[in-house]
Amino acid sequence: MKKHLSAWILMIPTLLLFGFYIWQPLFYSIYLSVSETKGYEVIGFAGFKNYIEVLNDPVFLKALFNSFAYTLWSLVIGFLVPIILAIVINELVHLSSLIRISIYLPNIVPMIATILIWKFILDPGAGGLLNSLLMGLGMGKVGWLQQEAIIIPVIISTLTWKAAGATTLIYLARLKGINQELYEAAEIDGTNIFQRLRYITIPQIYNLGRILLILQILAVFQILIEPWLYTGGGPNNASVSLMLLNWNYAFRDFQAGKAASISVIVNIILIVLTLIYLTFNKEQDE
Amino acid sequence: MKAMTFLQFFNKKRYGIISYNELRNKRTKILYFSLLAFALIVVFISAVPIIWILLSSMKDIKELFEVPPTIIPRTFHPEKIVEVWNKMNFFTYYKNSFIMVGGSIVCAVIFNGILAYVLSILKPKGTKFVYMLVLWSLMIPNIISLVPIFKNIVSLKMLNSFIPLCFSFGANAFFVVLYKSFFDAIPVSLIEAAKMDGCSNLRIFFQIVFPLSQPINIVIAIFAFNAAWSDFLLSFLVLKRDEMFTVMVKLYTISQTWGFSKDLQLMGVFFSIIPPIIIFLIFQKYIIQGIAFSGIKG
Repeated sequence: MKKHLSAWILMIPTLLLFGFYIWQPLFYSIYLSVSETKGYEVIGFAGFKNYIEVLNDPVFLKALFNSFAYTLWSLVIGFLVPIILAIVINELVHLSSLIRISIYLPNIVPMIATILIWKFILDPGAGGLLNSLLMGLGMGKVGWLQQEAIIIPVIISTLTWKAAGATTLIYLARLKGINQELYEAAEIDGTNIFQRLRYITIPQIYNLGRILLILQILAVFQILIEPWLYTGGGPNNASVSLMLLNWNYAFRDFQAGKAASISVIVNIILIVLTLIYLTFNKEQDE
Repeated sequence: MKAMTFLQFFNKKRYGIISYNELRNKRTKILYFSLLAFALIVVFISAVPIIWILLSSMKDIKELFEVPPTIIPRTFHPEKIVEVWNKMNFFTYYKNSFIMVGGSIVCAVIFNGILAYVLSILKPKGTKFVYMLVLWSLMIPNIISLVPIFKNIVSLKMLNSFIPLCFSFGANAFFVVLYKSFFDAIPVSLIEAAKMDGCSNLRIFFQIVFPLSQPINIVIAIFAFNAAWSDFLLSFLVLKRDEMFTVMVKLYTISQTWGFSKDLQLMGVFFSIIPPIIIFLIFQKYIIQGIAFSGIKG
């Protein structure tokens, strides 16, 4: 008994921090979302009023749609890049540490700095690096951050630039763990390179890929700082995300109740996405 | 002769899909070198934006505003670093950032380490339940509840203080999971022996478990360094006075204020990138191992 007690005493400070930063805020968000608020103070019970007002906000539907668009684009642009890169790098004997270090480099650039770097490169005028390169090649300039049709893929590309290197290293570690005898035996059996890729490499990284897929979906769905600082959600709300809307309600309009109801909605969507994903996986395993 | 030695590298090929034998074949060699070329293009895309920005920040004003911008800078004025550093008083923001980052690393290592130690080694009643709560927290992103966190901090009157920022790193489910999977591999006999000698639980942690865990401590410390150095949202909400700003918050205000010209913004980016790059170059071996480790466990 004494043994249990002294162990629990050691845990308490950390558990208090978890309570302060994670658990209490989560439940308090639910409470705030059904409360009448003035600034950050609760002044009464509101029922579903916050939710109804948020759902009727014309920007909400746009933000909901965009959050899914960010997620889908990140799968299209960003999911395969690290897998392909890892498989390629794992084959190389030349310059491999130079390659590893350089592809990880963007990951250590702080997010705010990353955004500023890409704003300089994607500057819509002739002074932007990318546009001046395009004009040098005889092509016209592009308003990278000003066109509704391309703004989400552009933002996702910069995100991929930053994040792909770290993910590649995770896949690489898994590839290093593959028993080399599998390849040797397959080679003796007369398989070619692509058959070995298809029947040995891919199955071996399949499970890791599934985990990283859901983590990527959950992370990108909550995109906030990038749309805020690249475009402020524009042009014409084309890049506004649910979390940016939540941030605007909370820290621009000081409407804690509405902000909290978006938090709860986002949480529910994330849980549903996870559940769909888990059932889908279970079916596949059976 | 030189080409020979270059190709001799193939002798080292003991891994991957393509075998050493196959590389003697000309077609496979072409495939190999196309893969190498592809990887070098990726290296180029990864590194060039960063290098271009670092070099551009040292162009003179005239060149900086040239249209089209020069891709390879003509002018190089490293003395601008000192000028802007003094003019913008960057020493203050560096000092603030380093206090905040240092505190965050200590919190990340101690609090998460102790929780993982209890869950992995002491295992009191209720361990399973607490671990489940921790795993569950892994799924809850804390940016979702920024309003309540901010409210909590305000109610403790801790605006313009680094304390709430540092302590936020003490509640990191990911770090707990990493620590726990490392502690799980520590031989039980070592702990039992120390218990026989009458060591208290806390002493066992600091004198046995902690020193045995240097590899994971370094990994967590580096992760915490990067996360704390780059932290923006909570710092932005908590730090309201300019003399308390961290480098990231200052960089944000520089980028948002019209008064600051392009060269100051570029220099701000420069100042914000240099410390993580230095840390990365010193510890790159550990960082790459750590990512691999976290990936295997995660």
